[in-house]
Amino acid sequence: MPWKKHTLIVLSCLSWLIGFAQDVTIQGIVADQQNKAIAAAKVVEITKMNGTFTDDNGYFELKVQKGENIFEFRSIDHKTQRLSIKITKDTSLYIQLETIAGLQELSEVVVSGVGRDQNIQSTKIGNVQLEMKEIRSLPAFMGEYDIIRTLQFMPGVQSASEGTQGLYVRGGGPEQNLVLLDGTHVYNATHLFGFFSVFNADAIQDVELTKVGMPAQYGGRISSVLDIRSRQGGREKLGIQGGVGLLSSRIAVDGPIANGRGDFLVAGRRTYLDLLLTPLIPEESGFAGTGYYFYDLNANLNYKINDNNKISFSSYIGEDEFSFRTDSENFSVDMPWGNAIANVRWRSILSDKTMLNVSAGISDYQFEFLSFQDQFEVGLSSGIRDYIFKADLSYNFSPRHQMRFGGEYIYHRFTPIAVSANQGDVEFDTGEGQRIFSHESALFITSTYDWSERFKTDIGYRHSFYHFIGPFTRYIPSPIGFQQDSIVYANGELIKAYHFAEPRFSARYLINSKSAIKAGWNYNAQYVHLANISTVSLPTDIWFPATDIAGPQHGWQAALGYFRNFLDNNIETSVEIYYKHMNNVVEFKDGALPQDNTQDNTDNLLTLGQGYSYGAEFFIRKNFGVWTGWLGYTLSRTERRFDDINDGNFFPARHDRRHDFSAVMSYRLNDSWTFGLSMVYATGNSITLPNSWYLHNGDVQFEFGDRNMTRMPAYHRLDLSATWFDKPTKTLTDPISGLTTVIQKKWRHSVNFSIYNVYNRQNPFFLFVQNDGSLVDNNFNISLQQVALFPILPSVTWNFEF
Amino acid sequence: MQNKLHIILFLTFALSACSKEIDLDLPGHDPKLVVDGRIETGQPPFVLLSKSQDIFAPTDLNAFLNNYITGALITVSNGTNTIVLDEICTNTLPVEWLPIIAQVFDIAPEELATLELCFYTSLNPVIFGEVGKTYALTIDFENEIYEAETTIVPTVPLDTVFWRESKPNGNKGFSWARLSDPAGVYNAYYWEVKRLGRDDLFRTTLNPAVDDTFFDGLTFEFPYENPFSFDEGEPDTTIGFYLRGDTVVVKFSSLDRPTFQFLESKHIQLNSNGSPFATPINLPSNISNGARGVWAGYSPHFDTLICID
Repeated sequence: MPWKKHTLIVLSCLSWLIGFAQDVTIQGIVADQQNKAIAAAKVVEITKMNGTFTDDNGYFELKVQKGENIFEFRSIDHKTQRLSIKITKDTSLYIQLETIAGLQELSEVVVSGVGRDQNIQSTKIGNVQLEMKEIRSLPAFMGEYDIIRTLQFMPGVQSASEGTQGLYVRGGGPEQNLVLLDGTHVYNATHLFGFFSVFNADAIQDVELTKVGMPAQYGGRISSVLDIRSRQGGREKLGIQGGVGLLSSRIAVDGPIANGRGDFLVAGRRTYLDLLLTPLIPEESGFAGTGYYFYDLNANLNYKINDNNKISFSSYIGEDEFSFRTDSENFSVDMPWGNAIANVRWRSILSDKTMLNVSAGISDYQFEFLSFQDQFEVGLSSGIRDYIFKADLSYNFSPRHQMRFGGEYIYHRFTPIAVSANQGDVEFDTGEGQRIFSHESALFITSTYDWSERFKTDIGYRHSFYHFIGPFTRYIPSPIGFQQDSIVYANGELIKAYHFAEPRFSARYLINSKSAIKAGWNYNAQYVHLANISTVSLPTDIWFPATDIAGPQHGWQAALGYFRNFLDNNIETSVEIYYKHMNNVVEFKDGALPQDNTQDNTDNLLTLGQGYSYGAEFFIRKNFGVWTGWLGYTLSRTERRFDDINDGNFFPARHDRRHDFSAVMSYRLNDSWTFGLSMVYATGNSITLPNSWYLHNGDVQFEFGDRNMTRMPAYHRLDLSATWFDKPTKTLTDPISGLTTVIQKKWRHSVNFSIYNVYNRQNPFFLFVQNDGSLVDNNFNISLQQVALFPILPSVTWNFEF
Repeated sequence: MQNKLHIILFLTFALSACSKEIDLDLPGHDPKLVVDGRIETGQPPFVLLSKSQDIFAPTDLNAFLNNYITGALITVSNGTNTIVLDEICTNTLPVEWLPIIAQVFDIAPEELATLELCFYTSLNPVIFGEVGKTYALTIDFENEIYEAETTIVPTVPLDTVFWRESKPNGNKGFSWARLSDPAGVYNAYYWEVKRLGRDDLFRTTLNPAVDDTFFDGLTFEFPYENPFSFDEGEPDTTIGFYLRGDTVVVKFSSLDRPTFQFLESKHIQLNSNGSPFATPINLPSNISNGARGVWAGYSPHFDTLICID
């Protein structure tokens, strides 16, 4: 009976529509007792098991049926709260969750503040979230906890070499990651020649890395987004926390302002190698006169104007200073470099369904090198200054459908390199310092839609625009390699314009409550390059924007993943495969010598090419219990191709790594002791070494073979840690009544003992070919030398808070 | 400038970190003809031919001696005269030529006399180096032709050379010179020294090749270090300096651009070899047909410096 079939379909649709017609909306904020918003708290209507998560501002919205509803509010560090509420119309709630008493802040590796099945429910694929407390439970490197170093233990994420910070995500270079601190991008995010990140553990709340399908509000990089959020200050009382380590000490002060309407946080850190070691270096040593330190300072402010409006300010300033001077030889070198970042954000809830975010910021990076000998003085500087403005509007059509749209504008001012030199009164002609100006802007829209209980998508579109403008002097190299002609562009004159359509999507299909299939795809453009001539991130690396001859990088990535949880979501597993294609990646041409800015442009020395990376990532993570941690394994291949290098053939990228295995575990023995372990095994990097030699005027000259055709020995390492916590409570006895009372301690402290590289593996930092002896004396020898940086390194860090 | 920073970093890591010899398979190579050719004002042309060696090829004395190539047909032309170079071996060399050839091989004359090393030259004065002339080199070897050109550019003399104490009564200091660079023309220079009575051969400083990109048309003073001190086991505090009383012969050669580019790259490679902070550099040769090395013209100015106040 065909009519019966149709009738059933119509009736079922009607019942579905009727069901929706009876829905009402509840919205609200979930916060802790200090009124700090709790992000990613789960809000569930128990009967229908209909749920959602709070956003970064603790905001949620949920469609429920009229009548009696039971809601459950869950967050990992807070007591779960259940409420039975009779809902008859659209309703607003403000929920405060109580912090779990005696929670060991540094207790164990736990899934960051997200719901237990978030990895299944979310559309996010290639996504990593970490909280600082997870990072603190792991072995520290020279006493320093570090976000970036911990992320490098995740599948698809790797470092360039021993101990360094550059993030290589799924075959992308470090410049292809959008590193955001409270929404403002950071360029060279490292201290000490790349060994430490600029992110002070005391000032950071959490970090999220998106490896594919980045939401449309993010752009300007083709590989990943690393979104780092600062910690908010407490709203109830003044708090102080800090630590003393072997390398540095740090302190953070936070508290309420304006009668609890706002909060502040100030956190600082400084190394003291210069103070402790420099006086101990003997005068005869070649290192005598060497000094080095870095410092950084974070300052954040939040102020709640009213229930619907909040304004936030966050800032960072940090500097490294390397110096070397010998009075006896009248010689000195000073090399300071650092970042300064600031932004102001305004969030306004315009209606029950609409939220506006507006921000303005500045990101500044400067590097200088000053050398003085007798009367000869040389200076080199490079830098970047960006002015950033963003605005977006979120609109919740329904609990199943949210949209966000907005725009972004950045004014770039790059100084790739500027050189000055003088000899007494004689000023050398080092040319004009190169400065490059450009406008970068984008419009975006993104839509998250629940098509059904099982199928959900996150679709976004971003259109970016880029204008390279004057003043600028383009030097035109002659065929034999030196400047022949130049074109001068006037102030504000358009030199080159680009624009790109950047669609992206991610989707989740729930197989059942414990497993899901997800897919992600994105096409991105990037209007900045990093001309990196070394295998490690250095402050001397040259950043410069897209120009008329060095066009923007652009590329796409596709990923597919299967996610499955076990044991009531305590065990998460996933397998992801991906393919990434990159255009207009840059390298210096063979034999290019970037030295100065005289009669040349840096991009004249570059060659543009292609790259690809593909691989599979396997991940197992245990979230709860005394044992927590994860195992990750990545199988991948990453190659590059440039017309001017390697005869135009593909060659392995320096960070091409066939196998990459990591294990991270934490064991909580009791309230006082937690033990941590991290382990890594990775295929060695590919490098270019000489494959032949010849003599010229008695000197041995090496001839290099094909690019990156030598594989360094494998890298592996084991780190261990033990952290002791004092008791969170103390017992007071009334001397008269004899009654005892257990109270929370105001002063808390812990001590972390870490051992880096437990079995003292000499991992290769770099290899080089060395020749010594004399051919004539018949004792000439050529050998391959491996330099290893870090032997077994124990460290201890004392942390406190009150 | 960037390279200097990288050299500092490389040395810092290489000196402060743990280094050990390892075995690793490196990709093989295709041997190439290597030309070490030079012509200098008032001197005959000299050409040494060899082949590039596998990185782990034997490095004993016999291998070294056997690597020099004989049997090639080499001509040099100055546009007027074309001369076929003679193949001469050091054991048959007139004694008066020994110091000059020793400089070409960078082997002390007394050692050179004990070896049988063969090279190509011509003692015909019509092909001796002259300022302003361009010299074309042609090599016919194993049925392949290799060609190059170099020019002996006008000599630019130093205004003066002097010694300056690093601090009062220190009895040590750098050598200094004052140069007036000709304006409006490209100039490139090469700095070599030897101490009278102490050194047989000229030696280059750490960064001996420089062009006038920065200082075209300027007059200025500049210091140079003592390259011999690095090998003489001097205390750290005197390395790089000349001592009071040293007599130094300065050879300040003007170069054409291809010669400068080769020599500049050569010394960058010598200083930064293997550094992970430097891009791998193969020296830019001016020889055709894939040969390595250089055919270099030198236009030297000589000066003598006595290290006194």
